Amino acid sequence: MNRLIFDDKLEKLQAELFILPLIIAHKDKIKRSFIEYTANLTYDLNAYKKLFDRLDSRYADEPEEIKRSVQQAIIETEGRKFMNFLDEKLGELENIIINFSKKDHERHGYYLRKQLWTFLMCSPFMTRTNIKPRGYSGDSVIMKMIYDDQYAGSSTFGKLMHKHPIEHPAAQAVRNRRDLVAKRLRALKSRDLKSTPKIRVLSVACGPAFELHDVVTSAADCARYHFTLLDQDEYALAEARNQIRRIGKKFGQKIEADFLNESVRTMHNMAELDKSGENFDYIYSMGLFDYLTPPVAKAVIGKLYQVLNVGGEMVIGNFHISNASRYYMEYWLDWVLYYRSEQEFRDLLINVNSAVADIVFEETGSQMLMQVKRSGV
Amino acid sequence: MQTSIEFIVKPEWDEIEKIRNKSAEFLQAHHLNEDTIHSLSMIISELIENGIKYGNFKGPENSVVVMIRVERNAVTIEVLNPVGEIASKHLLRLDKTIQWIRGYQDPFEPYMERFKEVSRQPLNDDESGLGLVRIAYEGQALLDFFVGENHSLNVSAVSEIEGDDRNYS
Repeated sequence: MNRLIFDDKLEKLQAELFILPLIIAHKDKIKRSFIEYTANLTYDLNAYKKLFDRLDSRYADEPEEIKRSVQQAIIETEGRKFMNFLDEKLGELENIIINFSKKDHERHGYYLRKQLWTFLMCSPFMTRTNIKPRGYSGDSVIMKMIYDDQYAGSSTFGKLMHKHPIEHPAAQAVRNRRDLVAKRLRALKSRDLKSTPKIRVLSVACGPAFELHDVVTSAADCARYHFTLLDQDEYALAEARNQIRRIGKKFGQKIEADFLNESVRTMHNMAELDKSGENFDYIYSMGLFDYLTPPVAKAVIGKLYQVLNVGGEMVIGNFHISNASRYYMEYWLDWVLYYRSEQEFRDLLINVNSAVADIVFEETGSQMLMQVKRSGV
Repeated sequence: MQTSIEFIVKPEWDEIEKIRNKSAEFLQAHHLNEDTIHSLSMIISELIENGIKYGNFKGPENSVVVMIRVERNAVTIEVLNPVGEIASKHLLRLDKTIQWIRGYQDPFEPYMERFKEVSRQPLNDDESGLGLVRIAYEGQALLDFFVGENHSLNVSAVSEIEGDDRNYS
């Protein structure tokens, strides 16, 4: 006790107690229809979990191969029915929250997650988006889960809870945009670009850069590009380095690449991106602008445009306001994005002269890609 | 009606109250109701306070710039202050804190977390660190920032405006 008081380290231990009434009061404005919805959902999820856990225990002692086949059969039958049930419940949720304000969404999302927490924690995907071990939801491990598109988890229930969000439109959009970005980049191969001999590529917030597997598909490709990969997350950057190494090894070639552990927010000058002072022919950023508010997004896009070669192309991704997975992501996954309409997306170019922009959607319609070409001198 | 306003502020504590009053007048002219103006004024004060606290005013740029823009669905507040070339530690912390706050759907969560943290700090620690989470939770605004080419730190708060935030009576 003396140490606590006299060593200037007095901790207000009662703070935990002060907080409790605030947490309890936080539910006061939850709407009756939402409480009812959550209670019914919790009941049903409990019933499904018990069913799948019971089935799991029935074949737990069988040999691995048998266990796998039985689980697969359950997933394809009752599991699919459960996935349909989740779809229905999400539809119901959207109807209940249709007129909610921003504050209502926040408060009700918090309430829902508190009620469903034990179920969410059965899913490796939902656990990670909620816990955010690297400080943000869409980290490179999450990206890999989305690209892998597999069942994962220690139980059948967990596997289904993992796979359901990964099959949702937003996750499909992430897989689709990877293809689109790679396709655009491959199309540059044959174009007459000013920078020679290599096509200089900058990936901003590169993550694990899985898409490079779709870009570099031959030994000749290894020599064709110079990549600059930038990410604030050192773990993601290490994974990107491994991708590059793996691809090079596959074709017995060395791929030229620079790796920059930086945040676009703190980089005051993009010229720092390349020590040689050369600009880029292709700049892309798939999962960054969904987190930038307009003042920052405009500044970053302006900075990137400055380091784009004349004739070069920039491809920027942003989820559209109509993203069908929006409330699933916000309420269940605690994953909030900055959504934009086409016009709001285009407005980000307001300070950029001599840019020609075109917006395309990937197949689900959830994700926009803005293709910006640098024209003029 | 003028949709935006800019103030050049001397890095002195007394200036905060003056700008708070002037910006409240500007927001009133846009028919924002009292509660909304109160929240936005809190955001403005917190951001200017941070600008003064962490700004480097030894160079030619020796003021804090405040910009307020009112649009149909949002009010954007931007506060700019010069930062030294060696401010990277502060910027890194700012980056992490803002991303951490924005990582939650409900800013109530980081608010509670920071509240607990502050209570665990020694009593003589005058840096509460609650300002940014207050902006997100009490002010209901999305925080973000970037560093401009002339070493100018731009911290912004975007606050969504809904129908009942305005008062036309």
